[in-house]
Amino acid sequence: MVDTLYGWIVAAPAIPNDVGGKYVAGAYIVFVVLLLIYVGIMARKLAGIERGLREVAEVAEQRKADAGETEHAEVKS
Amino acid sequence: MGVDPSMYGKGLRPLSIATPVAFAITLSLVFFYAPIEADQGFLQKIFYLHVPLAITSLCGFIVGGIFAILHLRRDDPRYDAYSYVSIHISVIYACGALITGSIWAKGSWGHWWVWNEPTLVSFLIVFLLYATYYPFRYAIEDRQRQARYASVFAVTAGAFVPLNFLAVRMSASLVHPRVFATAEGGLPGSMMLTFLCSIASMALLWTTLVKFELSAKSAHGQLKRLRRALDAPTGPPTSRIAPEVH
Repeated sequence: MVDTLYGWIVAAPAIPNDVGGKYVAGAYIVFVVLLLIYVGIMARKLAGIERGLREVAEVAEQRKADAGETEHAEVKS
Repeated sequence: MGVDPSMYGKGLRPLSIATPVAFAITLSLVFFYAPIEADQGFLQKIFYLHVPLAITSLCGFIVGGIFAILHLRRDDPRYDAYSYVSIHISVIYACGALITGSIWAKGSWGHWWVWNEPTLVSFLIVFLLYATYYPFRYAIEDRQRQARYASVFAVTAGAFVPLNFLAVRMSASLVHPRVFATAEGGLPGSMMLTFLCSIASMALLWTTLVKFELSAKSAHGQLKRLRRALDAPTGPPTSRIAPEVH
């Protein structure tokens, strides 16, 4: 496996620094940038979901605590 | 409830691992294994990015159409979500294919865009057609009607994609290179292997993104349900969890 990889790298065609290089780099950078934009948008959406879940959890915990207090008061009375 | 809430994220973890691995292998093949093409030189390396992006996006549009058929037949909102997300990711891919194709055209032909080339123009038409999917969908307020009309659109546009492809293949102008089934014999073995790996990687990334988007939409939908349940705790739960596409 390592020998094969080494063989590939040794036999690899030299990357020419000609006029095509900047276009190839540009195309691959566009692809990476598109992916990063998508990941960024999704990260923002997921952060919103996380925030919403935290709010819902807080409301649920508050209700549980309120219900507990009411039950406690009823037992005392 | 009998429904696994994590079902949309099922398989996402192995996909998330397999996708970067596949891309690492593909990029190694592109830059270290595939030979430099005699005519275009190093510029031809864009081929391994641009063509898989275009092919995957077109296949994604067809997949979106197939899910839309399933939605119309079974009236299951999950298939509408699958169709929507497939089209959504394919539009992003098509956008990438158009930009990378334009860069390649500038390097190869000296122009960012050639209007008399049927392959380019037909792909632009397909992209613009699917760009109207969003305003068309969200112009309808009633959710059931919205899903139904969007499915009809997805089926019609999905049928247009292969017809459009065939029409272009049969057209006379062939400035744009053909990869498969050409009289010259197509790609040599090493280039073909690299190209197939590129397509597999792009398809893997497409699947991962679709799953990721579905999981996020499902989580958003479930959060909405939780909020509604907190407002009206006695309300009956719905039997199916479908990702929200609003």
